[in-house]
Amino acid sequence: MRLSSITAVLSVCMAATAVMQTKPTNYKGLEITPLGIERAKNVALGDCPPGANTVRGNALDGTEFAVVTLGFKVTPAFDAKTIVKKPVLTDASGKTFQTSASIIDAGSVPEYKCTFPFRVPTGTKIASVSIDTATINVAALDK
Amino acid sequence: MDLNRRAFIATLGGTAAVAMMDSEAKADALEHYMEEQLDEQVAAAQGQPEKFPTVADIEAQIETRNYRRGVGSLFVSTRGNVKKLEPMPKNPTLQDFFRLRFAPANHVLQSATRAMKTGMTEEVILACLLHDCVLNLIKPDHGWWGAQLFEPYIPEKSTFAIRYHQTLRFYPDAEAGYEYPDLYYRFFGEDYKPPQHIEATYKMLRNHKWYMEPRLVTVNDLYAFDPNAKVSLDPFEDIIGRHFKTPKEGLGNDNSPSAHMWRTLANPDAPL
Repeated sequence: MRLSSITAVLSVCMAATAVMQTKPTNYKGLEITPLGIERAKNVALGDCPPGANTVRGNALDGTEFAVVTLGFKVTPAFDAKTIVKKPVLTDASGKTFQTSASIIDAGSVPEYKCTFPFRVPTGTKIASVSIDTATINVAALDK
Repeated sequence: MDLNRRAFIATLGGTAAVAMMDSEAKADALEHYMEEQLDEQVAAAQGQPEKFPTVADIEAQIETRNYRRGVGSLFVSTRGNVKKLEPMPKNPTLQDFFRLRFAPANHVLQSATRAMKTGMTEEVILACLLHDCVLNLIKPDHGWWGAQLFEPYIPEKSTFAIRYHQTLRFYPDAEAGYEYPDLYYRFFGEDYKPPQHIEATYKMLRNHKWYMEPRLVTVNDLYAFDPNAKVSLDPFEDIIGRHFKTPKEGLGNDNSPSAHMWRTLANPDAPL
């Protein structure tokens, strides 16, 4: 196979992988879609669904925030009384990180986006985000 | 320039506080607010990170004010004159103090609401509800003063949480979900280092079996500055009923070790 063909096949595979990553994961009737990862030293601190909290948090020396944006869609299968746990981030080496943001009243709005800041050592490669039993692969979004 | 009316009113302490201001004070407050907003918008438009003051900058402001920063909120108005307060009932309860002296108390109510919605213990919810109430009396060392104010009436864990949240707010704990807020860069200076007694207290707390009690107060603290949040004391009536030992004589009249503090809150206009 010529090099150009291999490159083309790889490109198609990578594009397909990226599309797969953005497919929603269903957690007890809550459809969760990974939308992006950004890096920041200073982030807005707010719960999910988002309100208008005015406080911001700062990363300390040698760390940064990996800010994961997730989209949520509430389906009829979701029980509004369900307490949805905080997301947990896993890096490429398997180490886990917590976020300060909580998911509160997840069924109060039909559809919303939330950002979850995870303070990680600068340059940490992100693998996935888990919410209780649901694991969402976000590696392809970590550029 | 667009004005976020709700956010502006929230900075003044809510609609009840605004209703008590005269026209001149409202105009001054609005001008001050718009100046701050404009500075932030210009900086953001130019892609500049916010410039925080240093400890020296904050110290240089001391002689620009006619009051000390640590004075309790009941005792000073930075925008116009103070207003006459409604007298307390004969046997005042905690709810009476919330209504007549701590109001609007948005921050502590939001903090306790979050604690409740995230399934925290009743001792922690109560601590969140009470953790900053003493700021109406005095601001420096508010964790210790606040714990002393409530200690005769609430569970030991709640007292512990109130006393030590003051220390833990300076120390991020990502595992517990607490980040260092830029609010403190503004309050204390970006180069601020906690004093020795706070460092020593932090070391003690890290090894204490109740570490998470004050830590959870700090965790909720950061998420309780939403000017649009709708909160009330009603959801906490049962917790207050179960855990707050209201004296039959009323707070301030019961000869407890902190009765004098309640009387001071009840009568802040007393000359001596």
